[in-house]
Formats: sequence, structure tokens, C-alpha cells
Amino acid sequence: MIRVQEEDFQVDELYQRLLKANETGAVVMFVGLVRQFSDLPKAICHFELEHYPGMTERNLQTIVDEAKKRWSLLDVCVVHRVGRLSVDDQIVFVGVSAAHRAEAFQACDFVMDYLKSRAAFWKKESQGSNSHWVQANDQDEMSLERWKK
Amino acid sequence: MLKVKVVFFASLKERIGQSEYLAEIALPLSIGDLKHLLASQLNQGSALLEKGIQSSIDFEFARDADMVPETVKEVAFFPPVTGG
Repeated sequence: MIRVQEEDFQVDELYQRLLKANETGAVVMFVGLVRQFSDLPKAICHFELEHYPGMTERNLQTIVDEAKKRWSLLDVCVVHRVGRLSVDDQIVFVGVSAAHRAEAFQACDFVMDYLKSRAAFWKKESQGSNSHWVQANDQDEMSLERWKK
Repeated sequence: MLKVKVVFFASLKERIGQSEYLAEIALPLSIGDLKHLLASQLNQGSALLEKGIQSSIDFEFARDADMVPETVKEVAFFPPVTGG
């Protein structure tokens, strides 16, 4: 399941979706949150997350399809929020279920690495009346190298 | 001539001052060629030529050397992505 949405998500509900009776031996879940990015009071700090409707969902599907090719997985669930987000809000959920933990851990890590660099999302940070677009991190691109071996 | 919808996102959209533009192009044309064409037609279009600007053709990531296909519906230009 892939969802791009403004609303918050419930981890419990997504966990339940990942379970396959009699088959699931491992579930690995990652939740990304907005951390405090300024010395200013967090009440005046927020993120604006923009995406490219149509492309973003396709990017995420491509990443999930690739993960399913590489590892034996039962299910993959990706939820990414867009719009205005405040400090401590949940941004992204990636959950993977598999028969064994090694596949689940690796696939979850893979999906997050690719989501950071190959899915059409852009973050803008605002602190009071100041705002700026977040610059891409070279480290995120370098993280993909380990999956190319 | 072929009419193509070109869309911009994030900081690039703000710098160019518009989210979309209807471009008239003649094929064959690469994405890199299209960047230069738009740079000459749009206010602040030179922002398209800056290092790191990425692109897509009909929702798939593209490179400067990729050719715009005859069947194209939409081309997008945007800065490096920063999701997650």
C-alpha cells in the first residue's frame, strides 16, 4: 500500500495491515518525525512539504517493486505526509513484513534510502517569518551506493 | 511544432514565478536542449541551468541527454528531492 496524504497516520493500524496470518515472521517499521530545527520556540517552526502528484506515487511504487524483487517480502506499506507539518509530527512510515527478520530489516532500510533521493518531495522550513527550502544532503545520495553492489 | 506542458516545483517554481508553462517545441529535442530553450523564454529561466536541477518526462525521472518523445504529455523541472 502506498499513500501520500495530508492527514496523520496511525502506526497500529498500519502494523495490522502488514500482518499475514500464518506467514508473517517479522515486521520492521520506520517512522520519520519532524525534529526541532531551530532555537526559536517550536510553536512558530514548521515544515511545508510539497510533492508532484502523479509522479511521487509512481516513484514510491517503483521503489517498493524493486524491494520486492530483491527480497522475499509479504507486504510493504509506505505512507508519506504532505502539507504543513509541525515539530514532533510524523512525516513518513515505511513498514515491511516478511517470513524472516533479515529481509524485513534490509528492505525497510532500502525503501527509506531510495525514498530520500528518488521520490518527488520537497521540504520548506519556516521559522516565524523566515523560510527556506531544505537543500538535498549529499550523504543521502551516497547512501544509495551500498545497494548498488 | 509540438505543444508541451512544462511544470516546475519547489524553489525552482518560486524563482521562475510560475508553476507551469506551455512550451512550443520542435523535435528532436533533448531535455538539456529544452532547458536552454526555456531559459531564453522565461523570466529567471536561467535558474533551470543551475547545477543539480532535475527533470522528468511523463512522471519518470529523466536526464539532460534524454530525448523528448513525440507522445510527451508533461515535462517537469525541479531541485533535488528532500523527502523522508
